[in-house]
Amino acid sequence: MNVVLTGIHRSFGKNKAVDGVSMELGPGVFGVLGPNGAGKTSLLRILATALPPSSGEIRLLDRDPRRPAARREIRRRLGYLPQNLGYYPSFTVVEFIEYFALLKEMPSSAVPKAVAVAVERVDLGAKAKAKLRTLSGGMLRRVGIAQAIVNDPELLLLDEPTAGLDPEQRVQFRALLRSLGATATVIVSTHLVEDVGAACSEVALMSGGKVVFRGTPDDLTARGAGHSVGDAPLERGYGAVLSAARS
Amino acid sequence: MSVMSIPLPRSARALRLEFKRNAVPYVLPLLAAVFYFDTLRTADGFPPVWTPRASVIPNHMLIEFSAFAGGLAAWAGSREGRRKTADLVAATPRAAWARLGATLAGTLCWLLLAFLAGVAVLYIQTALQATWGGPPLWPVFVGAAGVTVVTVIGFTCGVFFPGRFTAPLVAIGVLVPFQVGFREALSVTASSGTYALLSPSGSPPPVDAGVYYHVAPDLSILQVTFMGGIAVALFGVLGLVPGLRELSSAGGLRSLRTVFTRGEGWLSHAVAVLLVACGVAASFTAFALAGTARPDAIGGWQIPALHSAASDQPVPVTQDCTSSPGFQVCVHPAFSFYLDDVAAALDPVAAEIAGLPGAPAGAREVASMSGGQNVWSGISGNPPVFDFTAEHVGTAYGMFNGIPATMYIDSGVVPDAAAWREGFQQGLLDSFLIGASQHAGSVPLDAAQQAVEDALLTAAGSQPQDPFSQMSVNGKPSPGTSAAVSAAARRFAALPASARHAWLATHLTALRGGTITLAQIP
Repeated sequence: MNVVLTGIHRSFGKNKAVDGVSMELGPGVFGVLGPNGAGKTSLLRILATALPPSSGEIRLLDRDPRRPAARREIRRRLGYLPQNLGYYPSFTVVEFIEYFALLKEMPSSAVPKAVAVAVERVDLGAKAKAKLRTLSGGMLRRVGIAQAIVNDPELLLLDEPTAGLDPEQRVQFRALLRSLGATATVIVSTHLVEDVGAACSEVALMSGGKVVFRGTPDDLTARGAGHSVGDAPLERGYGAVLSAARS
Repeated sequence: MSVMSIPLPRSARALRLEFKRNAVPYVLPLLAAVFYFDTLRTADGFPPVWTPRASVIPNHMLIEFSAFAGGLAAWAGSREGRRKTADLVAATPRAAWARLGATLAGTLCWLLLAFLAGVAVLYIQTALQATWGGPPLWPVFVGAAGVTVVTVIGFTCGVFFPGRFTAPLVAIGVLVPFQVGFREALSVTASSGTYALLSPSGSPPPVDAGVYYHVAPDLSILQVTFMGGIAVALFGVLGLVPGLRELSSAGGLRSLRTVFTRGEGWLSHAVAVLLVACGVAASFTAFALAGTARPDAIGGWQIPALHSAASDQPVPVTQDCTSSPGFQVCVHPAFSFYLDDVAAALDPVAAEIAGLPGAPAGAREVASMSGGQNVWSGISGNPPVFDFTAEHVGTAYGMFNGIPATMYIDSGVVPDAAAWREGFQQGLLDSFLIGASQHAGSVPLDAAQQAVEDALLTAAGSQPQDPFSQMSVNGKPSPGTSAAVSAAARRFAALPASARHAWLATHLTALRGGTITLAQIP
């Protein structure tokens, strides 16, 4: 298993952002759904080793991230796209991705080729030498995805990856997710249920810091039978589970 | 594989990126303008002698560079906070130290390159004008250490207090308290001890500093150690950044143990703490040594623990002398640019008094400080020789001939060649008429001596200063006697040279003794 979480808690003051989450994940694309404030971003930050849990056990890629050497090894094999992507406006697309390839301690000789591949995978070849300050929001999101996948990660964490992408790019991105999920564990946090339906083999729904549903997208769709809120079957399932969790 | 195709190591690639995308180049034109208008023009006000010219590096250039360096470094250091990439970079395996170190190095490289380029311009200009000596390196080391420490201070402020206002605040903060305030507040007084010597900037040295005696490197070593220690300690603090951030996010000191097991491991933290300790120790040692500083015999400072007696020895040199068979003038080769002017100024008055008792057979330039005392012009030795100093030539009389005298304009002295020549001639005649061997400038002439001096100056082709001006210089004649002094001077100057010479031969002893009245002057 690439991800093993056991009773993970994380609090900010009195607010329990993550409240007793346990799960085991292998290769594949795993969707994390939930309303704003459900704890999705905090969970992904914990998985990215950017935020230590307040309590609970965590193993990533068969390593304990509390140990510095293991944590460093995990980070070498990790790709992470945060919800709010910070970037350096004076860097070009290639330079920004190269910078993160270097931070991920990729072999120096492999960096140029890996950067070129990542740029092509997000369809930014024409903008490779453009400064980031000149790019649109959707293009910046693709730059963020490119830096996350430049090291060909075994664990890829994407927080709202399709925000700002146009429909054509979203279709391409879902295809990319499916191909990455063939060998790696891809965790996609989103509030767009259609992304989950199209790309994920498994989905968890969070509410109030807890996982209130876990199953396949079809399972979630099935929960929506008889529920009236939502335009699509998956949305109705999402709404039904949330309503049940809140009641 | 050819040399060109060998891939750069990761650190070099990261440094190249940081260097390429640094903010410093955008500010270089402004920095160059400030450098020209302050540093370079101030240096032009000094004679073309290496040590005084190099003194503008710590006294002017470093202050200008510090404001820019602090602000730009704070801008670079605050980048992750301003651009909200903290989470993104925290999820990478590269140690924060290495990551921040590359950003700091990129900024520091630019600033040091700019600084060294400025030094090169200053030194090339000096090399084209100087007639002796070579470029002193210690001011460059002190300046580079100053730029480095200010850069590290600014960067650390940026890392810990990221925000768009951090950079301007640091720039102002560095400029005002660190440079101006530090220097002024710790100026060497009885109450402050000698700790102000740790400040790299200070008062300009004598114009012949480093000419007759070596400039001891004691103070420079002290300053480099002090600033280097601060820089090393702050660099160590940067190594603790991830741990300190986790400490704040993990909920206070109770989580200290968790932090040390997380962060980047105990080894990284141990090295960081060691660097902080070493840096603090170095700075503290320099601070303690500054308290032991004492003035040396040639106008500088020495630190007993660092001092080498070899630097107290005079620099062996052969003076440049005029080749005329009569009155010979000799100067240090560093000041050979004014040899002809000095000879041209002194020859006419020397001819007026030649052969009289105590009249100098020649003139020679000597060090302006000796045995811990200022040396004044005077006549001494057998045969008598008129001693003068470069400080005497350049400062007391208002200018170094041919050198822009911007630094003297504030003193109210008009820097023109005629005024300089008359003042210099007057210095020789003062010494001759008083008859004392030294400290001519401290003994005022009486009315008769003043009248004779004015007459000799007139006879030598110079225009004596007006009586009121002379009174301010020599002090003694009262306003009531100034007209009488002028009248006696005109009478005496109107005599044939042989008559003046004969009268002086007869009455010189009485004139020096102050027993001659204006009425007795023919």
